[in-house]
Amino acid sequence: MIWIGQTLVSPGEPGIYGERVLDGHRVWDPYRSKLGALYYLGKGIDLTASMRVLYLGAAHGTTVSHVADYVEVVYAVEMAPRPMEDLLEVAGRRRNIIPILADAGRPEEYAALVEEVDLVFQDVASPAQAEIALRNRAFLAPGGNLILVVKTRAIDTTARPGDVEAGVSSAIRSSYTILDSVWLLPYHRDHVAFICRR
Amino acid sequence: MRSYWFGDEDDHGCTRAGGDPDTLARRVSSLRAGPGDIVPPDWRHARECGAVKDREEYLSKLREVCIRLAREQVASSLSGEDTELMEMVMLLDGMDRAVNQLGEHLSCWYRVRHPGEGWKYRPRDSRRVLARIGEDAGGPLKDALGGVLALREARALLAREIGERSARVLPNCSAIVGGLVAARIMALAGGLPDLARLPASSLQVLGARGALFSHLTGGTPSPKHGIIYQHLRVHNAPRGVRGKVARALAGRLAIAARIDRYRGTLDPEFIARSDRMIEAAGGRR
Repeated sequence: MIWIGQTLVSPGEPGIYGERVLDGHRVWDPYRSKLGALYYLGKGIDLTASMRVLYLGAAHGTTVSHVADYVEVVYAVEMAPRPMEDLLEVAGRRRNIIPILADAGRPEEYAALVEEVDLVFQDVASPAQAEIALRNRAFLAPGGNLILVVKTRAIDTTARPGDVEAGVSSAIRSSYTILDSVWLLPYHRDHVAFICRR
Repeated sequence: MRSYWFGDEDDHGCTRAGGDPDTLARRVSSLRAGPGDIVPPDWRHARECGAVKDREEYLSKLREVCIRLAREQVASSLSGEDTELMEMVMLLDGMDRAVNQLGEHLSCWYRVRHPGEGWKYRPRDSRRVLARIGEDAGGPLKDALGGVLALREARALLAREIGERSARVLPNCSAIVGGLVAARIMALAGGLPDLARLPASSLQVLGARGALFSHLTGGTPSPKHGIIYQHLRVHNAPRGVRGKVARALAGRLAIAARIDRYRGTLDPEFIARSDRMIEAAGGRR
């Protein structure tokens, strides 16, 4: 990862969402990106130029664009058409983003498109977040990593976030080796990131 | 046999799917693996069957296909009469808020200019109040008033248009709860396809978000009704049976939404039966 002083940046064409530019690099804001927050907390999987990434919950393509600055190719899956309009614009300007309009909970919809990847990053707001991580395991190469950002309030608004974390952890433990789990405070409330290996 | 965007593979080899990106995009939209049966494509196989010559071409071709496919899907899900109806309802609600708020400011200003003048014993509906302000207003107050009155006019036209369109897009729902409420319910559900998939119990409390969450977190009584309270049959029902009426209404509305989505025509017999059932629950016209 590229740091300029204390600031995380990524190399690439700027101006996607009005991000600041530092020495020709795009500033990666941890408050707007859960993956960015993870790097600021000293965790996360380093992105390298040869990596293939499956990004579930791509939304408007903000974080996707930063990931694409680092890696070979990003398969960006987003379910909602409105954010997809923005994502398509971002993909139009970058050679290595492959946008897919599909529900991450139904990987059979994009099984004909997405190859085996080195990293699955999942950031979706759904009650079935653990289930989604399990279903997408088939795309992850053996030894590859999963970063699963869990929005605990989307699973149960009333339960304590810690209890939700425990539930997700026991649901995915049989399929993934959990290397670490990190709360994204102070950048994002009630979000926990699991870093796993297949 | 396994099907991928670039062709079909089996134990003997691979058959390339030809055609331009548009043809391939159409092919992809018809492909679907069985659940639990996912084997991701390998770009080397695409090279072997002659679909691409190298990794770079594999990615650029795939990207082209995916962008076209996503564009088409976005266009088809974001256009159409139901989506437009949703936007119209949102605009209507925004106009209501604006007219109320601006009218309030105008009348406050008017009262500063005419201290000591009360509003009792006079007709108080907003149109009369605005007319009274207009009688002796001048300058910016008059200009602003003109704007608010024009907005009210536009709002009335929009409401009529929503009613007409709703009768077309949601014929059965509109027949049960009226065009405006039907359109609002659809907007809250997030569109006609989503509305048609909603259980009646969710429909019943749609729009009662605050009450529902305070029930879930704080143990207050569960909400009986949300937006459907706006419909006269719930609104006019005696307090004791309002919940029952809301439940009956929501049940029929859930079925109506499915008819609207999957058949799209008015079913008079269904409407008559629904009316009887809602009346039996205690709902008055």
